[in-house]
Amino acid sequence: MNYFPDEVIEHVFDSIDSHRDRNSISLVCKSWHKIERCSRRTVFIGNCYAINPERLIGRFPCLRSLTLKGKPHFADFNLVPHEWGGFVHPWIDALARARVGLEELRLKRMVVSDESLELLSRSFVNFKSLVLVSCDGFTTDGLASIAANCRHLRELDLQENEIDDHRGQWLNCFPDTCTTLTLLNFACLKGETNLAALERLVARSPNLKSLKLNRAVPLDALTRLMSCAPQLVDLGVGSYENEPDPESFVKLMAAIKKCTSLRSLSGFLEVAPRCLPAFYPICQNLISLNLSYAAEIQGNHLIKLIQLCKRLQRLWILDSIGDKGLEVVATTCKELQELRVFPSDLHGEEDYNAAVTEVGLVAISAGCPKLHSILYFCKQMTNAALITVAQNCPNFIRFRLAILEPNKPDHLTSQSLDEGFGAIVQACKGLKRLSVSGLLTDKFFLYIGMYGEKLEMLSIAFAGDTDKGMLYVLNGCKKMRKLEIRDSPFGDAALLTDVGKYKTMRSLWMSSCEVTLGGCKRLAQNAPWLNVEIINENENNRNGEDEREKVDKLYLYRTVVGTRKDAPPYVRIL
Amino acid sequence: MEKDGLELEITELRLGLPGRDVAKKRGFTEMIMTSSGSNSDQCESGVVSSGGEVEKVNDAPAAKSQVVGWPPVCSYRRKNSSKEASKTKVGLGYVKVSMDGVPYLRKMDLGSSQGYDDLAFALDKLFGFRGIGVALKDGDNCEYVTIYEDKDGDWMLAGDVPWGMFIESCKRLRIMKRSDATGFGLQPRGVDE
Repeated sequence: MNYFPDEVIEHVFDSIDSHRDRNSISLVCKSWHKIERCSRRTVFIGNCYAINPERLIGRFPCLRSLTLKGKPHFADFNLVPHEWGGFVHPWIDALARARVGLEELRLKRMVVSDESLELLSRSFVNFKSLVLVSCDGFTTDGLASIAANCRHLRELDLQENEIDDHRGQWLNCFPDTCTTLTLLNFACLKGETNLAALERLVARSPNLKSLKLNRAVPLDALTRLMSCAPQLVDLGVGSYENEPDPESFVKLMAAIKKCTSLRSLSGFLEVAPRCLPAFYPICQNLISLNLSYAAEIQGNHLIKLIQLCKRLQRLWILDSIGDKGLEVVATTCKELQELRVFPSDLHGEEDYNAAVTEVGLVAISAGCPKLHSILYFCKQMTNAALITVAQNCPNFIRFRLAILEPNKPDHLTSQSLDEGFGAIVQACKGLKRLSVSGLLTDKFFLYIGMYGEKLEMLSIAFAGDTDKGMLYVLNGCKKMRKLEIRDSPFGDAALLTDVGKYKTMRSLWMSSCEVTLGGCKRLAQNAPWLNVEIINENENNRNGEDEREKVDKLYLYRTVVGTRKDAPPYVRIL
Repeated sequence: MEKDGLELEITELRLGLPGRDVAKKRGFTEMIMTSSGSNSDQCESGVVSSGGEVEKVNDAPAAKSQVVGWPPVCSYRRKNSSKEASKTKVGLGYVKVSMDGVPYLRKMDLGSSQGYDDLAFALDKLFGFRGIGVALKDGDNCEYVTIYEDKDGDWMLAGDVPWGMFIESCKRLRIMKRSDATGFGLQPRGVDE
């Protein structure tokens, strides 16, 4: 029953941004559902196959901003074949035909084509923001369409995409009248950049706050760019390679000094570390530093830089920093909230003395009380260390630990890491995301089920002993949304015990486990609201009906639109 | 499927580590121990990655074995982590060019050339010497040969493979005197796929 006119209710709803809150509102009553859906501007779709564009548009005709995610997370690690799906074109096509006033599009792990980008650029007059994360399928020609046709473009954010660089003139395609850019990130482009066009573009974009350059932008160009954009807040340095002569260095330093608003620094895709001092003057202002692609910044150069960054809240770094370097971080960066330590040697070339261990992790946990998110690749771990970390930092929301060697036990006691990870889950009552590694038994899963009340995403690899492990998680973690498991001995019994559970989850991934074709078929029969996808790249056995056959890759997700029609031959949807 | 005997099982491409039994799942370390404990020098197994490429599993100690997708670093980062990038340095296009008799190296962007003819012209311009172009086009008649080092570290004669394939695999160029080229150890034509 409404005591207020619709306009008032709509006005109240306008102040509610969170899509989860909005979803809840729309369940209250029919009238609220209608008001909410007609006023909804921002929609987040975590799995593009859970719904289709027509139903989206039917429900939210006034949509302005859409976020879509395609491939499952493990696609990042080459576990999902290339043509699996996640095509954005049908979405853009449908939105264009329905004349939706789209202004923002954010895509993650989707396949985007030049045709899609061209269609996008021509169909939405007020289009302002394009964010592509881990997408592929397009070239710089598609970017040229966006540049040329989106008159009011504010943001073009290309994060870690595989883009075919035609070394064309896409930057030249921004018309002279385009002055509205606030964010331009093309760091992932691999080819030559038209520097003159870039400089002109930056010079006529007074609102540009974030600029992330690719490798092909050398030091002298950087100086000119920073000189005409002293208002920058976020900078991704491209190439920092050639050591400049003293005069050039002085100019660079002067340009950097003027950027008093600079808070975030990244890039250094190619580096001559001796140039780093040019950045020293602004380090004290930095809250975010990403040096995870700057392998040449090591040792003293790195330490000196970090010692100046006293206000850092976010640090992404390579493990070449070492435990000693992390101790410096712990003493310097008291405001640190998020830390990511990536492996620098992925090909087993070196002896790995530079890698980090549990020592670094403990130091960080002791020194940085505000830490709530961590991604840590290390070569070894102990229960004692994890227990200490749990005591020091009970505020973790995201905790991801990847020990480089799968199944590795506590290196001091040779025991499993059940107790250590159990301590983390028990202490961190707000933990939402957890990735684990090392030797883990069913007991670890028992702990997860007991203590993982807020856990929403769990990534498991090479862990567990029996079906009980997976069952502990499914039964205990009421908030679980995304569960992804590889190389673990969970089978049909675990999969089938509580089919209704999958209604409350976005998706489940299981690869190299013990589930069989028969088990998957039974699941599909009992749950018509699930798409149960079997991915089988082995051509010989694709349509075999042997129900005892183990399924290599299973991906299931709830959906309201049934089986998708765009699956490749090696995906069988039961 | 398992009826054909052990040999066929070894050669069959499957997802998973070598020695993985269809009927029984073993732990990771168990798999590695058996494969490195046995006479693994002679036998090679394939691990099929999702891209369709076959990655050979190392017979080295367990720590160095390559498991698909482990450690969980996203593929963009793997390709662009500096060591990998500086090993192959493809895509950017800048390669070092050396010429016999010239004391310093040059750098040029392969990507700004559209084909071998363009490259020939660019090389001529770079060194101010008109013979190189002729070398590329009409290999046998010239004083110089143009060779390049590919991703695998082999030295190849420039001009054999399609341009697209060439720029993807070329790490550096060298213009050497034909008289020095014999016995240099160039790979014969038709060796790479």
